[in-house]
Amino acid sequence: MKRNRMIHTPEGFRDLYGDEARARRKLLQDLDEVFRRYGYEDIETPAVEYFDVFGSDVGTTPSNELYKFFDRDGNTLVLRPDFTPSVARAVAMHFSPDAMPYRLSYKGNTYVNSQEYQLNLKEQLQMGVELIGDASAEADAEILMLTCDLLKTAGLKEFQVSCGNNDYFRALAEESGLAEDEIEAVRQLTSNKNFFGVSELMEGMRAPDRIREAFVKMPQLFGGEEVLAEAEKYAASDGMHRAIGRLSTISGLMAKHGYAQYLTYDFGLLSKYHYYTGMIFSAYTYGTGDAVAKGGRYDTLLMHFGMDAPAVGVGLYIDQLRSALLRQGARSES
Amino acid sequence: MRYLTIALTKGRLAEKTLALFEKAGITSGGADDKDTRKLVFTNEEMGVRFFMAKGPDVPTYVAYGAADIGIVGRDTILEEGRKLYEVLDLGYGACRMCICGPESARQMLASGDLFRVATKYPNIAKDYFLNRKHQTVEIIKMSGSIELAPIVGLSEVICDIVETGTTLRENGLTVLEEVCKISARVVVNQVSMKMYSDRISQLINGLKEALEA
Repeated sequence: MKRNRMIHTPEGFRDLYGDEARARRKLLQDLDEVFRRYGYEDIETPAVEYFDVFGSDVGTTPSNELYKFFDRDGNTLVLRPDFTPSVARAVAMHFSPDAMPYRLSYKGNTYVNSQEYQLNLKEQLQMGVELIGDASAEADAEILMLTCDLLKTAGLKEFQVSCGNNDYFRALAEESGLAEDEIEAVRQLTSNKNFFGVSELMEGMRAPDRIREAFVKMPQLFGGEEVLAEAEKYAASDGMHRAIGRLSTISGLMAKHGYAQYLTYDFGLLSKYHYYTGMIFSAYTYGTGDAVAKGGRYDTLLMHFGMDAPAVGVGLYIDQLRSALLRQGARSES
Repeated sequence: MRYLTIALTKGRLAEKTLALFEKAGITSGGADDKDTRKLVFTNEEMGVRFFMAKGPDVPTYVAYGAADIGIVGRDTILEEGRKLYEVLDLGYGACRMCICGPESARQMLASGDLFRVATKYPNIAKDYFLNRKHQTVEIIKMSGSIELAPIVGLSEVICDIVETGTTLRENGLTVLEEVCKISARVVVNQVSMKMYSDRISQLINGLKEALEA
């Protein structure tokens, strides 16, 4: 047989068949039922969008990680790296601002040209929801509860949803008067939990002591509910107090509905997607080095597409989830 | 209880680290025995396992969650660029990442000429010259005896770790620029940090206290 590189798939792409395909379809059906139960309706957006939908002012995947090409008129097109900006664009385009809120669910492949991802897959199946037009803490809690139910339905017994609030960091950054590149450096170190890196950086900065102290503390502000009280001690502005207050409200709602045991807090959780504006979260479980679901609030994203509407959502990384399920199954058998 | 798995960088760093763990009350189950051929060492009562790995592999083990915690030099962390939490500076293994070469190369470093840089750390060298010095250079990846490169004329300068500077001096080379400071760091897998938050925080605080004692 002639050996030809064209007969296997390009690096980062794969075929799916047999038992695996069957198991994945079953998983998708089960998850889909949870979406219906929560009252979410399907939305489908094209895999190809104009570059601007994912451009740097929207604040999503870095441009060099996008698959780009040109249409006949010379416009730059991209394969979607993420659903949220696409759904936001579609809602701004087709939906009336008077009939909010909208509960929308999506399912499809996303494409990111990066080696950084585990599983080394450049094409990954994502499934998720967007709740558009509801700014309340109830909406935040709904998305968190939905995430827990999805993970439970998938078959995970032990998982954690780690929840933070971008506004805490943002309010502190505003208060500090630091330059944008300095803030970016702090953000990077904070999200790597590198608190000695932050304290090293803070030594050279001109900012009041309590602000610097709060920055140094932030990478360590994670854990159970006691973290909220701890965060209060370092809150240097109204914005920071509001950010904590929001999390307490969410925490109360989660407890009321019996979901408190899944929730932990992390003020150092800062997404590289800059469109997130408030509550933000990642869900973790054993057997995978990366989050199985990520989400949060993005109240300004729809503005980029001409509609002023608050929104919150979650995306599940199906391949990551499947890999965790497989590894956990393998572990219990051995 | 699940094991908390710790990856150590083979060699001197591991010796110092095991001594520190001992001081913090965590025995390694025989990992400090130099003659053993075992690969994994278990402390059953504390539910901790240790294994030794080559430096550049430590961030890989941790990023994939095969190890929950890793002890590794900052040079390796920067070079590998994995997604990790970097939570503690152990202080030892201190040295500097430097641009070195013969004194005559100093002038060229300041010029806009295209010169060659030999290094084991192509990512660190690239970041330093492109992003910090805005210079275009040719980077040559080597795997050892970097000092040789400028002597035999493979490159004009090198980017390497400098501890005492003895090797450099003996070969007529000198430190021309400092890139950054290096020391041993504790890195943690991002999922482990959440799932074993209590145990890992306790371990890190134990190490911190042992360092200060």
